[in-house]
Amino acid sequence: MGKLIVVACGAGINTSTIAEDSIRERMAKEGFTDVEVKRILMADIEGYLTRTDLVMIVSMMKIFRTFDVPVIQGMPFLIGSQTEKDVLLDKIVDVVKKV
Amino acid sequence: MALEFNETLIAFDLQAKNAKEVIDFLAKRMCAQGLVTAEYAAQTWAREQHHPTGLPTRPFCIAFPHADAEGVHRSALGVAVLRQPVTFQNMADPDEGLEVSIVFMLANRDPEEQIHTLRNLAELFGQPEKLVEMREQSTLQEVESWLRRELRLG
Repeated sequence: MGKLIVVACGAGINTSTIAEDSIRERMAKEGFTDVEVKRILMADIEGYLTRTDLVMIVSMMKIFRTFDVPVIQGMPFLIGSQTEKDVLLDKIVDVVKKV
Repeated sequence: MALEFNETLIAFDLQAKNAKEVIDFLAKRMCAQGLVTAEYAAQTWAREQHHPTGLPTRPFCIAFPHADAEGVHRSALGVAVLRQPVTFQNMADPDEGLEVSIVFMLANRDPEEQIHTLRNLAELFGQPEKLVEMREQSTLQEVESWLRRELRLG
């Protein structure tokens, strides 16, 4: 089964794309061909929580609740240094490798 | 994909009381050049209430207000370097106010193009030294040529 990472943002068009680009690029570099990276609206998150292939949530919004899968705050993809971006990408790689 | 950007779309050392004044100022400039409709200021302000665009960049915050493509005739970038910061709400947490020193106002005809602009801007957002460099430009013309170079606007 494939692995799904959702990238959620408030308004849904722009900022999550920046995170999505970085994550896709890293997944390709790692040779993870079974990982799907999908941009969604935070308001639509419920529909994804029941999916059995969901392995991780990257949220451009602050997170005020808990989820059954690992969640990371994706703002550094938009405003962080390269080092901060790499730290997040390493975390994502770890999660993908473990599931 | 041509992005309209010129001297009159930049406000340098702008004195504004609040975020709405900055948005109104830049939208008016865009409208005067026929780039957006007269409603663009109101549409942008309305969007800002539901989906704020302040970002906690370092060492000072920025915002990138914009509205939907319907009010846009030609894609444009407006920039305001503020004398004193104004408060925008945080995109990641609308309950948090951020003191914003530079405003990048976007007007885009299509989402793809907006993403392209945002990608270039995001490169600056992640580099504190670049933001400082931008704010330290001493004339409006310097701000314009600096941005043209950094955003590769040609």
